[in-house]
Amino acid sequence: MTSIAQVQGRRSGIDLSWPTFALLSLILSVLVLLPLFWLAFYSFRSDTGGGATLDNFIALVADPTLLRAYGLAIAMALGVGLLSCVVATPMAWLVARTDLPGRRIIRMLVTASFVTPPFLGAIAYEILAAPNSGLVNIIYRSVFRLDSSQYLVNIYTFGGLIFAIACFTFPYVFTLVANALDKVPSDLEDASSILGGKSMTTLRKVTIPLVLPAMLAGTLIAILQALTMFGSPAILALPAGFHVITTKIWSLFQFPPRLGLAAAAALPLLIITIILLRAQKSILGRKGYTVLGGKSGTPRVTELGRWKWAAILFVFSILSLTILLPYLAILKTAFTGTVGDPINLSTLTLSHWRFVLFEFSATQLALRNTFLLGFLTATAVTAIALIVSYLVTRRSVPGSRFLGVLATAPVAIPGIVLGVGLFLSYANPTFQLYGTIWILLIAFMTIELPAGYQQMSSAFSGVHPELEEAGRIMGASRLRTLWDITAPLLRTSVVAAWCFVFVGTIRELSATILLTTANTKLVSVIIYDLNESGDLGAICVLGIILLAASFAVVFVANRVPVLGGSQMNARG
Amino acid sequence: MAFLELDGLTKSYGSLTVVKGVNLSVDQGKLVCLLGPSGCGKTTTLRLIAGFAPANGGEIRVGGKVVSSSRGTVPPEARNMSMIFQSYALWPHMTVFENVAYGLKLRRMPQSQVTELVRTILTATQLIQLADRYPGELSGGQQQRVSLARALVIKPEILLLDEPLSNLDANLREEMRFEIRRLHDEFRYTTVYVTHDQAEAMTTADIIVVMNDGRIEQSGSPEDIYERPATEFVARFIGGTNILSGTRNDKESVLCQSGLVLRCGNGTADGTTKTAVSIRHHDIELSTKPNGANTNTTIGTVTRQIYLGSHRDYLVSIAGGEMVRTVAPVNVAIPVGQEVWLHFPPEKCRALAQ
Repeated sequence: MTSIAQVQGRRSGIDLSWPTFALLSLILSVLVLLPLFWLAFYSFRSDTGGGATLDNFIALVADPTLLRAYGLAIAMALGVGLLSCVVATPMAWLVARTDLPGRRIIRMLVTASFVTPPFLGAIAYEILAAPNSGLVNIIYRSVFRLDSSQYLVNIYTFGGLIFAIACFTFPYVFTLVANALDKVPSDLEDASSILGGKSMTTLRKVTIPLVLPAMLAGTLIAILQALTMFGSPAILALPAGFHVITTKIWSLFQFPPRLGLAAAAALPLLIITIILLRAQKSILGRKGYTVLGGKSGTPRVTELGRWKWAAILFVFSILSLTILLPYLAILKTAFTGTVGDPINLSTLTLSHWRFVLFEFSATQLALRNTFLLGFLTATAVTAIALIVSYLVTRRSVPGSRFLGVLATAPVAIPGIVLGVGLFLSYANPTFQLYGTIWILLIAFMTIELPAGYQQMSSAFSGVHPELEEAGRIMGASRLRTLWDITAPLLRTSVVAAWCFVFVGTIRELSATILLTTANTKLVSVIIYDLNESGDLGAICVLGIILLAASFAVVFVANRVPVLGGSQMNARG
Repeated sequence: MAFLELDGLTKSYGSLTVVKGVNLSVDQGKLVCLLGPSGCGKTTTLRLIAGFAPANGGEIRVGGKVVSSSRGTVPPEARNMSMIFQSYALWPHMTVFENVAYGLKLRRMPQSQVTELVRTILTATQLIQLADRYPGELSGGQQQRVSLARALVIKPEILLLDEPLSNLDANLREEMRFEIRRLHDEFRYTTVYVTHDQAEAMTTADIIVVMNDGRIEQSGSPEDIYERPATEFVARFIGGTNILSGTRNDKESVLCQSGLVLRCGNGTADGTTKTAVSIRHHDIELSTKPNGANTNTTIGTVTRQIYLGSHRDYLVSIAGGEMVRTVAPVNVAIPVGQEVWLHFPPEKCRALAQ
């Protein structure tokens, strides 16, 4: 009997681990390395002749429109980073460390603004602050009885663009700093007080230096997001008459396409991203700040006293600008005839809904494509991430760490860069994937892989290997153990990862915009197209549908314990 | 023939060899303790026996059948062993009852029989009233007992324990040592027990195997290991001892570095010229006057004296600068700096080959 068991054991060891490892290595290499290879290849290939050349890189330095696009993009990103940091840090402190009323709701609202697709935010600000039709300007003119050439705010400017993007990047800084403040143990601050430090001195000399890494890291992420963003600049910068680098790369795809130049222009963006991510990692990884890992004692709470009203006003105005006003603008536009209409019973209409859902031919296809791709991507990424993190954390195959590196790598590839790489890889006679939803599926899988992998591997490291070994030694096979023990323990994390990927997928625009065609329109692309034709009512209807789907999924995820919800509820 | 045999067992991780040719035979029904400092390879040896890791060389045989060798490894689930883990490894999503019943269900036992066996073992381990609790709702000691019950209920051929008591507080640990020995006397499973705590090993084991640096230093009954350590490492690790190194003087005595000649009542001083003498702290006789013996006696100076309630702990410096640690009854109170006579009874001096 033992000898039979022996044979089976040996066979299953070979049958499962190694082929899985080989297959995953292949899939991940195709997903991650292939587009980067073609990107590098095309950047050295002449657009006219097809031979090897350095012309593309020379053009990159010599072409003033490209240089200007890079310069503006970097300036914009720095502006966004600065603004996010300046707004988010005091807000995080107020929420984490003071007796401000409604802290828990504020945290939830800020987290909610994570879900808003940035391009939808940009459109909301078009509705609010376009110089002629913007609601703010209409109200301003009617209050002061000014003529139609006057306006108060104009979103179609460099400053307006920075503002509109920062509204949707400040949650990165806020979340990191608030979590860091939660974890600074009060005994460090008590130690300062006992030595005679007044509360402001303690704040300045102890608390702020301790959360500085989180602040810097959050700001770097905000900068990175702004730099690689396509939607908001395309909506706000193009009418303002300037290009940032992402929109410039997209314009190189317009007729006549200059693929080699696009590839060469995308490479510096890739390099900047890698540098920023490394900087962020080294800041957060510094040994002196390991306190961010542990927790001892509850954080101390500062009483605001007479400053309370000022604090409430500050937080309320930030929340109004980033969440309340945009959402109200979207809601109003979806249910009234035109943007400028006043709200009363006679202007309320469902015509936009009728148009979007029943009359506009592209919508149903786009909705179907979007949710199908969201479902497929979320399922595929979760499955791959699950198996990769199992192989990596349990080290069942030598060399499995390599899989982990591959699965994390796409985090450093901006969407637009990946879009270029995938276009070059698959829009050719060999694959002919351009114009199908499969090229989009590949793009989304690559983009979402790091997020899925990160969630799954941290979930796996939370499951002690001895729990699985106990199953094995009690007589369960490897698969049986996975099913009976590992799977139930990971269920909530799997659900969370799936939802996370799904929400990320249905709002993706920057890679999509290069890979989509008339037959493979997605909701995000339709929104972008409708914006070009100025049909804001229909956009808002589609936006509400996207948001409703996202919030529904997040709600489901939050009902399952261990998710962000529990983190948020830990303290209010 | 022994029931569990390790034959030249070797395990390496990359260039690091952690188990270096271990040979060990365990008879059916015996409890063997693998004892050694952390990093000595004892836990790796246990994991090799369980089948969690493949062996690089040598063999493991159970009942004469090879279960691990460099050619293949029977998976853990096909070995009919069970194990108690350092972390207890109770499945948090199952109740106490479900945890214990899991192994029986895998054996496709009818539900009524499962219930009966689980209730029996839960009663034996005083857990029956906790059957519907989840592991997170139990104290450390209760979790430990659930882990024991889960391992015992499947009637394994071999029971493995990996530092099972290291997460318990001191009082509970002592109690659980006797409990484990009691359960072993009751069920008589062939057991391999890994620990770094010599008191735990002494309490529970039939045979203690002292490991160091991936090798077995010595194996034998607790008395063997304590009374007749084979190497300096074993003598130091078990119970603590004074080691006086020197050279062989004649067949029965050792010339120490201090010039002192010690007659050794046991041990082996032949073979090599370099040798050492081991004598336990409490075997040295301490007095303020010469005791009349003219061999195995030297003079020294008290450099430290500590009152420990049941006895006094002395550190005495002897000629040549060597330090000797000894204990004396509480009423022998000698101040620091005073000269004392030390007598090393020959029958307590053990010569060790180096």
